[in-house]
Amino acid sequence: MSTDWLAVQSFQRTQELLTAINTLSIHTKLELAGIADDERAEAAAKAREKLALFLKAFDKIVREAEQTNGETLLGIDPRMEQLARKFVAARRDRARFHSPLFTQSLSEAANLLAPTEAKDRQALVEYLQDLRTLVEEHLHADIHQILHQF
Amino acid sequence: MREILRQSNIDLLREINRLKSVVYSASVLPELVTYQAQILITCEMLRRQGQQNLRDLDLNRDELLPDILSETQRLASWFRLYNERFAGPILRSLPSDQLCLRIIAWLHDHHPETHRVPAALSDGGFGIWPEPQFPIVYIMPFSRQRGLLYLPLFFHEFGHLLYVCHEAKMDELVYELQKSIADLLESTPQQDDLSAQEGAKRRRAIAVTWYLWTQEIFCDAVGFAIGGPCFAYAFSMYLRTSGRDAFYLPRSQLEFSHHPVTWLRIHFLADQVRRAGWPKEAEKLENEWSKIAATMGVTEEYHGFYEDRFMPLIRKTIDDMLTVASPWEFLDEDVAPSEWDPQSSSPVHLLNTAWRMYLQDPASYDSWEEQAISAFLESHGK
Repeated sequence: MSTDWLAVQSFQRTQELLTAINTLSIHTKLELAGIADDERAEAAAKAREKLALFLKAFDKIVREAEQTNGETLLGIDPRMEQLARKFVAARRDRARFHSPLFTQSLSEAANLLAPTEAKDRQALVEYLQDLRTLVEEHLHADIHQILHQF
Repeated sequence: MREILRQSNIDLLREINRLKSVVYSASVLPELVTYQAQILITCEMLRRQGQQNLRDLDLNRDELLPDILSETQRLASWFRLYNERFAGPILRSLPSDQLCLRIIAWLHDHHPETHRVPAALSDGGFGIWPEPQFPIVYIMPFSRQRGLLYLPLFFHEFGHLLYVCHEAKMDELVYELQKSIADLLESTPQQDDLSAQEGAKRRRAIAVTWYLWTQEIFCDAVGFAIGGPCFAYAFSMYLRTSGRDAFYLPRSQLEFSHHPVTWLRIHFLADQVRRAGWPKEAEKLENEWSKIAATMGVTEEYHGFYEDRFMPLIRKTIDDMLTVASPWEFLDEDVAPSEWDPQSSSPVHLLNTAWRMYLQDPASYDSWEEQAISAFLESHGK
């Protein structure tokens, strides 16, 4: 009996996250450039909500992952735990993940998703870029379990 | 970079339109019409995403290129998923799928969470893609789709869908179980000569492994709750010839594995059968597996990943999970020896009758099955 269902669930969750990251990133960049993006405003608001919810829930898992010193977590989908471990490692990897927000707690970052100042918007753009790198790398494993490599 | 992205999005749009057209033109069974509509809606959503990417490229802002690239890659993998996986059940559709699709539709319609959720059938080893945001696809090997005997195994797969529908509460219950197992192991003095650190690591690995094992045992329990004895027969018959690893796995392969050793699942299933009031059937089930194990010279050993003292904890958790998921449960008449009536009996009654007929007289079973399938399709088609 197949275990593809684990990868399918993880794929779906990660894709939704990626959509939210990209939508908010494009919208924020256009705001920074002074270009009206009314068409995407509603989608950007939804993306903000989705990311805030995710970051707050993910914060709990990441904290536990940091406290357990590499021990596997209980009561958590293994793919979600792997993402948390990657996040913990990424925070230490300053060569690849540059965003200052990346070093803050996830719940603090969640409060910065609706910036009004230009410098905060720029910080958000950099944060979303780092988050996207992490999520895309994680997505790779699911894609290759569900779909065959060519 | 802009031109590369433009080309890729135009190519994707062309392919999406082609898939949409092929799916739209496909002549499908009535049971697949809603599923087909769901695929077409997604194709349209993908098409709009591709067009949005082209509009974003037309803004001529270099800083957007990484975002548009990511969106294009996301679109490509989403499209691949539909093109390679979800369109298949429509394009490979055969008249013989009707039997499986009717059982699946009946299953979905008899639960409030899945009522009217469309589902399709695909070929392969038993499985399900249970994410409610995607079309639901049940997977079954070719020959098993054509008869009645192995259809109860869909009930196990349906359990995965119920787990996802109640994921937060289910995870909470599993977490409590994992903690209880960890506490139980912690309270027992170490038997072998592991260091304290190694012992703690091993206890942790056992507790973590039970995350996925619990889900599988829950799905088996859903299978029995819905199907009754026909599920136990199908499960045992299908898996008992799958080889040595159904009976024993070394410690290294048990750690973080996705499924418990099947022999252990048989014990849990037998426990459920016994508690449902069939002690003789439960004993027979366990005896059959013990005989096969003895013939192979396998002794039961789970390397600490299961001990008898875990049973009450796991049993309680599974019972609580069943209460949360609340699957449709078989009725007395579904397991009664009375003749199956195409007009008034449930499909579960049919599947239990099929197993009774098969076990009584395998030689005449095929002709009975052929007639029963015709009667079932005729009565459920009305």
